[in-house]
Amino acid sequence: MKRMRGMGKALREGPVVWHVARYVVAIAILLLAWWGASEIVEHVKGRAFLPNPVRAISEMARLGPTLFRNFWVSAWRLVMAMLIAFSLGYPLGLLIGHERRLDQLISPMIYIVYPIPQVAFILILFLIFGVGNPVKVAIVSVALFFQILVSARGAAKQIELEHITSVLAAGASRWQVYWHVVLPATLPSILTSLRVSVGLGMAFLYIAETTGAFVTPERGGLGRFIASNIYSGAQAFAGILAMALLGLSLYILIEVIERVACRWKHVSGRPS
Amino acid sequence: MIDIRDVAIEYGRGGRTVLAVDGISLHVEPGESVALIGPSGCGKTTLLFAVAGLIRPRDGGIEIAGKAVSGPRGEIALILQNAGLLPWKTVWQNANLSLRLGGEYPGKTAASVLEELGLAGVKGRYPAELSEGMKRRVGIARALSMSPSVMLMDEPLASLDTLTKERIQNLFLELWLKRRFSLVLVTHDIEEAAFLGQRIAVLTERPAKVKQVVANPGIGEVRYRATEEFVGIVTRLREALEG
Repeated sequence: MKRMRGMGKALREGPVVWHVARYVVAIAILLLAWWGASEIVEHVKGRAFLPNPVRAISEMARLGPTLFRNFWVSAWRLVMAMLIAFSLGYPLGLLIGHERRLDQLISPMIYIVYPIPQVAFILILFLIFGVGNPVKVAIVSVALFFQILVSARGAAKQIELEHITSVLAAGASRWQVYWHVVLPATLPSILTSLRVSVGLGMAFLYIAETTGAFVTPERGGLGRFIASNIYSGAQAFAGILAMALLGLSLYILIEVIERVACRWKHVSGRPS
Repeated sequence: MIDIRDVAIEYGRGGRTVLAVDGISLHVEPGESVALIGPSGCGKTTLLFAVAGLIRPRDGGIEIAGKAVSGPRGEIALILQNAGLLPWKTVWQNANLSLRLGGEYPGKTAASVLEELGLAGVKGRYPAELSEGMKRRVGIARALSMSPSVMLMDEPLASLDTLTKERIQNLFLELWLKRRFSLVLVTHDIEEAAFLGQRIAVLTERPAKVKQVVANPGIGEVRYRATEEFVGIVTRLREALEG
């Protein structure tokens, strides 16, 4: 109950109204820009290759149930992939960043593998996981795993020595150092990294869903939906809008989690 | 109480080792306060960390209450330069951290110490919401929560403005007189050493050796700062450091 009250307080105290207002303004500007671009394309090319927002939104409403089903399929895949990447990449990154010997042993391997475009692993992943849901989740997980791993390693290396010394002097065990210092000190930057990874995750989800597009088209996810409607502009754009909505929802969700879990980062500094 | 015998400390690895402390011997009686003063980077903090059990000396030995120091112990409290507060923990959580790590919380809490230090009203605040003076007091509360017999301080008042610094020095004095822990204070502030140290060990440039020990029996009152004796000790310390 106390925790719930704390969460409510954290959300109230943040500039939520300003956040919402900024997003509303941003959406309005983007819609206007889209409208303008659509008009220019139609004027130059003589055909409406780029449907205007009203047509796309109307199409979204018309395709409601189908789009909604695909939205949830994609959302489930992306969230699962993020959870897997986070729960594997975060602890491993912290261990490598904090334990010097482990860093010396593992970091060279990571930095050899990290620059290889993860798209190169797609075929192998299809061979391992087949063509169903697991492979789509696996493709996105692999892409995000490296991102989170490298961020966690970097964040663990940035921890102020004074914080570690402070708990060691009080007799902390290795596990207690992780629990009381390493984990909370790195959480804000990892959540930021996760938030930034939403875009990367969406891109890989699109690739995963369109690469495996020859099966289960009705539950193929938004990527499959967009790819199969690519020549009927308004429908494809309805899918693109849904994908943007998915990305934005996840982005906001992670920001809310960060504000609640890392409340100390958002308290106002007191003048001395 | 604290027995430092011929301690030499090296840090670094392989061919890049640095000798930080070279053969220091020092004895601190129960309830005595000793200040270590020396140039920046001379190795005084390294010596203090060895007394706290955080660093193992290359040569020599350190004993506290007759037991060799081999790691941090509940009876030894260390106050760090910026109070060592964890920004993600509230005042209450920071003050109780040592008790929690030692498994004594919540059976024993820092409630009475927070009350004594005038921090009871800010228990729910984070360090970022506190003034510098308050942060130092939270650091003191954490150290006192364990009722230590040895208090080690590593430049605890660095970067504070003069008035806040004096107020906290007065608080240190009051707490030391009341609780009579053995106090080892590392500082580069001559006046702080003269105000809080019954004996002041002046250390050389790195590797640190004891250059001179200045007796300062007059401490114990806030108005000591205004006495001729205090001014005389400050002058002697300045000469010892420059000489």
